Amino acid sequence: MKGPEEVLRIRGLYKKYAKNADWAVKNVSFNCYAGEIVGLLGHNGAGKSTTLKCLEGMLPYERGEISICGYDIKRQPMDAKRNMGFVTDNHAVFLKMTGIQYVTFMADVYKVPEDLRVRRLAQLESVFQLGDAINNLVSSYSHGMRQKVCMMGSLIHHPKLWILDEPMTGLDPRTMRAVQDFMRKYASMGNSIIFSSHALNTVAHLCDRVVLIRKGKQINDINVKHIIAMNPNFDFEEYFLSHEGQD
Amino acid sequence: MKDKIDFSLVKTLLGKQRDERRSAYRKGNFDAVGFFLRLILVALFVAVFVIFFGRFMSIYFSIRTRGLLNVRDRLYEALTVSYMVIVISLTVGGVGSMIRELFLADDIKLFSAMPVGPRSLFVAKLISIYRKQLLLSIVTVLAVNITVYLNVPAEAMGYLMPKGPWFYWGMTVLFCFVLPMVSIAIASLLALPYYAIRQFLQNRYALMFIIVTALTALAFYAYAVVLGAVKEMLLGDDLKYFFNESVMHGIGVAVYYLVPGKWLARFLLNRGMLENGLLMLAVLIVCAVIALLIIRSIMVRALQARISGGAHFMYPKRYIGDPRPQFGALIRKEFVQIFRTPSYMFSYFSIAVIMPLMVYFCMEVASSLVTKLIGYNFNLELALFLTLLFSALTNVFCSTNISREGPMFYSVKALPVSYRQVISSKIVFCLFVSLASEFITAVVLFGAGYVPVSAAAFVFLIGVVFSFAQICFATRYDFNHARFSTEDDGEIKESGSTVSTIIVLGMLLAFLIGGSVLLIKLLYTLRSAGASSAGYLTYAIVGGITLVATALSCFYLVFRLRRKYYEFSGGGLM
Repeated sequence: MKGPEEVLRIRGLYKKYAKNADWAVKNVSFNCYAGEIVGLLGHNGAGKSTTLKCLEGMLPYERGEISICGYDIKRQPMDAKRNMGFVTDNHAVFLKMTGIQYVTFMADVYKVPEDLRVRRLAQLESVFQLGDAINNLVSSYSHGMRQKVCMMGSLIHHPKLWILDEPMTGLDPRTMRAVQDFMRKYASMGNSIIFSSHALNTVAHLCDRVVLIRKGKQINDINVKHIIAMNPNFDFEEYFLSHEGQD
Repeated sequence: MKDKIDFSLVKTLLGKQRDERRSAYRKGNFDAVGFFLRLILVALFVAVFVIFFGRFMSIYFSIRTRGLLNVRDRLYEALTVSYMVIVISLTVGGVGSMIRELFLADDIKLFSAMPVGPRSLFVAKLISIYRKQLLLSIVTVLAVNITVYLNVPAEAMGYLMPKGPWFYWGMTVLFCFVLPMVSIAIASLLALPYYAIRQFLQNRYALMFIIVTALTALAFYAYAVVLGAVKEMLLGDDLKYFFNESVMHGIGVAVYYLVPGKWLARFLLNRGMLENGLLMLAVLIVCAVIALLIIRSIMVRALQARISGGAHFMYPKRYIGDPRPQFGALIRKEFVQIFRTPSYMFSYFSIAVIMPLMVYFCMEVASSLVTKLIGYNFNLELALFLTLLFSALTNVFCSTNISREGPMFYSVKALPVSYRQVISSKIVFCLFVSLASEFITAVVLFGAGYVPVSAAAFVFLIGVVFSFAQICFATRYDFNHARFSTEDDGEIKESGSTVSTIIVLGMLLAFLIGGSVLLIKLLYTLRSAGASSAGYLTYAIVGGITLVATALSCFYLVFRLRRKYYEFSGGGLM
């Protein structure tokens, strides 16, 4: 019987920022399957963002393998990148573009046909509710608005894998809820989502699986949905703090 | 709480500024090339100024009005105008510094949340601006006063030093310290209207582009007029005849209104010393009081505008754009990023637009000067030299091709566009700007009759190839030494060593090519050899050097570029 489609595969990932520095990421391996939401958890500086940046192709890595939809990020970077969308932790957007210009730029780069880009923009506008502000310069946006336009740009090509680094930071509660609902809906369409976060409740309620990282090293890969189903009183915060503190 | 000046706080703030200044000179941060380049340029400026101003002074002192020599009045006029020019230059610089330090500096936001009163902050910033202005004041005041002293006729020395040399040199030192105060006092009043205009133009990019370009063109026209006067001075006594009775009368009337330059000159020359000294003091006090009174409201308003993310300018409603190719999207992104950042727009687009004018103005002076001095036509060589020189200066902007992308460089890396597309989109965009600028320059040179059409085509071709070489080199050099901005707006506010290096290399190459063809033509002319032989040699040398430079630049650009691009983790953000 054929198992679920593998969207992301990371094997033995090692990354360091300088030759003599310690490993920022050490032997991280996990998979991400279609329809799955995976959370990446760890304390500040644990290596979550570095792992995500490596799999987005932003940063080079020393050892390991990363493939997205079967395409190796090093050997077939264009094919791999075409299948993913990303939202960075610093909400990096072209500040001198208007919101709509940024989304158009992303649509052009991902070669989204005209009819699809119009339809998808309408869908995304209903989720992210930027309103008329989408016609303003991104430089005049708040952090939350930048985050929203960044998300819209990352989804305009309907990627198979959606990568988000600290996606809930700066969002108002209503948008946060809308984004969470959208994430569930997006995953249910057979796509895969991986995101890093410090919001334990969000992670517990949203994720199917959680990968714990500590000092660059993967310390656990747990099936949260399964554990909660088995034990409805499972305290995820307690679990995280006890594991995160272990050497 | 009443906003008083807290001097212990001012001292703390000055200490912070001193530490920041020192960090700029630490290893790794210090832009040695830029430092020495600035030093050489200042030395060159002072040397040229002393020579030409000295020559001008000796001509000016010999002017007769109603048949009589009047060195005393000439001294007064020359010093008034000179001090006025210094005060205006310092004021313009002061307004710029004030806007940067008071409204745009990142620490202002931080201080707004701390118990730091606007007046204390204002005083600390003013002292910091004063320090910067002082250096320029010392250089310019000393250059003027020493040149005047060296060129005043011996019999008129009494007019210059009515109270003896100690007074003249003492006042010279005093002026070095007072002039920045005067200019800062005036600048603090002008800062608000200037800031208001800046805010108004903030999102009106096309209007801003037109105004800035027109003003720069005007400044270059003024520069050309000065150059023209310098040429007249070098060519003989024509300048002396320019200062006829009516011109001298006009100067006399104008000088009457040139305050505070007039007051400074009168003070120095003992023409109502007490009265003019008091006037200066009164101006200083009034400006300082007004500035302190209005600065609180200025700073609060500026701060609110910054915290709220600047003016909320409503753009017309647009819909998602029609599909365009990836390369087209990258090129458009380059244009938008530059056009909507005022400092980038000025340093690139305005300068590129004005470049033909600059070449034309300089050509106008240099062509007739060389023809008169040597007796031969050096137009092709001069056209080449000037075109390459100004192209080199225009293309310096390309040395920020990677750095100005900021953290978005990493985001673009994660997009499905190859390194070739990313880098070549930048080069093609810069080349397009250069192409337009070089084409208009060649048309102007041909249209003004300086060179025939074939030579204009040659100048255009060489200009474009030279620009391509510089753009390729500058882009790769910046890639290897990228430094991303950490400012809120992602804008590069200060040029680093990359920019300085590209300026130096570009100018060296322009001087090498331009200088060698001028030298060859001169040697051929002196030997009375055929001009056509020199022409062929010019084509060969210019073509040869340019092609070699282009080949080397291209190799430098592409050498291990793929690996470097995918392994890139520079810029200082990761």
